Amino acid sequence: MYNIPALVAILVFPSGIFLLAYGLFYEWVDRKLVARYQNRLGPRWFQPLADILKLLAKEEIVPQGVQTMLFVGLPVVGLAGALTSALYVPMFGLEPSFSFNGDLIVTLYLLSMMTLCLGLAGANTVDRFSLIGATRTLTQLFSYEAPFLLALLGPAIVTGSWQIRQINDYAHHHLWMALPQVIGFVVALVGLMGKLEMPPFDAPEAETEIVSGALTEYSGRGLALFRIGKDVELVIGLTLISSFYLGGLANPLEFIVKTLGLLVVIAGLQSLFARLRIDQTVGLWWRIGAIMALVQLLVMVGIRMVL
Amino acid sequence: MEAHESKKFVVPIGPQHPALKEPGHFEFSVDGETVTDASLRLGFVHRGIEKATEGRTWVQNLYLLERICGICSDVHGTAYSIGVEKLAGVTVPPRAQAIRTIVAELERIHSHMLWLGVAAHEGGFDTLFMFSWRDRETVMDLLESISGNRVNYSVNLLGGVKFDIDEKQAGEIRRGLDYLEERTRHYMKVVTTDETFLGRTRGVGLMSKQQAELLGAVGPTARASGVERDVRVESPYLSYGEFPVNIMLETAGDLQARFVVRINELFETYRLIREILDHMPSGELTTRMPRRIPEGETISRAEAPRGELFYFIKSNGSDKPERIKVRTPSLCNWGSVISMAVGHKLADMPMLLVGIDPCFSCNDR
Repeated sequence: MYNIPALVAILVFPSGIFLLAYGLFYEWVDRKLVARYQNRLGPRWFQPLADILKLLAKEEIVPQGVQTMLFVGLPVVGLAGALTSALYVPMFGLEPSFSFNGDLIVTLYLLSMMTLCLGLAGANTVDRFSLIGATRTLTQLFSYEAPFLLALLGPAIVTGSWQIRQINDYAHHHLWMALPQVIGFVVALVGLMGKLEMPPFDAPEAETEIVSGALTEYSGRGLALFRIGKDVELVIGLTLISSFYLGGLANPLEFIVKTLGLLVVIAGLQSLFARLRIDQTVGLWWRIGAIMALVQLLVMVGIRMVL
Repeated sequence: MEAHESKKFVVPIGPQHPALKEPGHFEFSVDGETVTDASLRLGFVHRGIEKATEGRTWVQNLYLLERICGICSDVHGTAYSIGVEKLAGVTVPPRAQAIRTIVAELERIHSHMLWLGVAAHEGGFDTLFMFSWRDRETVMDLLESISGNRVNYSVNLLGGVKFDIDEKQAGEIRRGLDYLEERTRHYMKVVTTDETFLGRTRGVGLMSKQQAELLGAVGPTARASGVERDVRVESPYLSYGEFPVNIMLETAGDLQARFVVRINELFETYRLIREILDHMPSGELTTRMPRRIPEGETISRAEAPRGELFYFIKSNGSDKPERIKVRTPSLCNWGSVISMAVGHKLADMPMLLVGIDPCFSCNDR
């Protein structure tokens, strides 16, 4: 069951060093693509790494009026959550390092840790921009989380298992699930964008309104960790969606092609729209996203019961 | 958030804030996301230009006044020149008038395109921001080809203009305008059909015609509420008499209307410049101007990209002015922002602010 020694799995691959580097690489791809779509040049390939190194080298200022333990601890917990979830997904097209029945739910919750930490980090400070940013972050969490979960449950129900490895195997041997479950695929993809607070769902960190939202007071190490955390989440989110909906991930080549393909789509979506207000985001998810995902899920359950 | 009755939750914007690239201070009291009160503080970039004009000669002041604003520098010079020429009783040759008009209109293009980008950026629509600023380079290059400068073109002289526009330059301008017109058509489509963008602009910041008149709104802000107010039409100056401008009106009075009015004005400007280029009067570029301006006082008005620009000029008969008073359009439009803000979402504030195309350096002088 454990095909990689535990310590290696945690520190080197698929979690740890590899994932951090890969996350930074995807951040660069994302930034570069969005820049090209907007007719800009975009950053050089090492720019995300340079940003992180610069931030790590800088002083971390703990503002007045915060609970220091929380302020310092939250970025670590958030990043740890994201990194841990890598152990249960078919990272780089290889078998998940760890697997047990129901690990899909655990992975989704680990991914949500990040957002929760972000919200708490914002609420922890007394800064007004942070407080509003935190409110928005948590509001957004409540709006996309349910549809995102429902969208990922679709393939699980088809497979009849809550184990990511089995869903991946099933998807690999059957028709791409993005075809019969178009709604679920779209909801999952857009849900990931909401999770990562990418435009147009970047109301929680809208720089023209609330500076940078929950992270306004963060500098240096804390900011760097949160940023890496988001990159890691991006990779894991893309892995999950492509393994569930795009016919599974059986080898590294498939992994790279499929996740990068999704990233191209996401970057396109990012540059197409104006930012949604937080009330519009909530409305969109609950009025359209959740209901559509739910309808599809019910249809799936119905079909399974008949067959 | 902390909804104590006595303690309001105030969100400060500015004077240092990513939403505002220029210094102004706004305080929005919010209840959750809804704005319940708004207040404004200005004057962070007061440079005392009006006072400084009194120590300089009439000619030197032209250079100083052009630097009131970085975006609409030409219209300041024009309004000042018109006033001083009126006092001196000098008539500017028609060709100079036409060139002044062309440059003023090119400046309007550059200002409106800049605004389009900034407004889109405030709404989180960075793609439109990048594209409109890229296309704005075209008009900047045209201005550079005429005057040698991209920003402070300094085309005006007292009694005429410094630069001629020859046939080669006219052709360049026509080509540039063709490109810009095609792009502007695209922006019009984006602004009027993009669902997410409409979600941020339609019905936001509604201002009725009565309100606009009451608050003394000027320029595109007023015209978007259906107020027929355009100095170029009301009292034509420069060549606007021979080449009349059609006033662009919208009646909706929301942010969407402000976008549409400004983009329509771009089309009108393209038409106007082409018409002037086709019927360019020939003749001198300058006329003799006395060093001392006869005693007296006058006002001059011009339609800046943001609205009516007003100059009061008083001369005591020497080579220096006694008093110059400038009233810029941004100042007239603040009232509308403050009264519109209440009841809107906090997320709408940056777009509302930018909706009037505020210029702080004009405003504070």
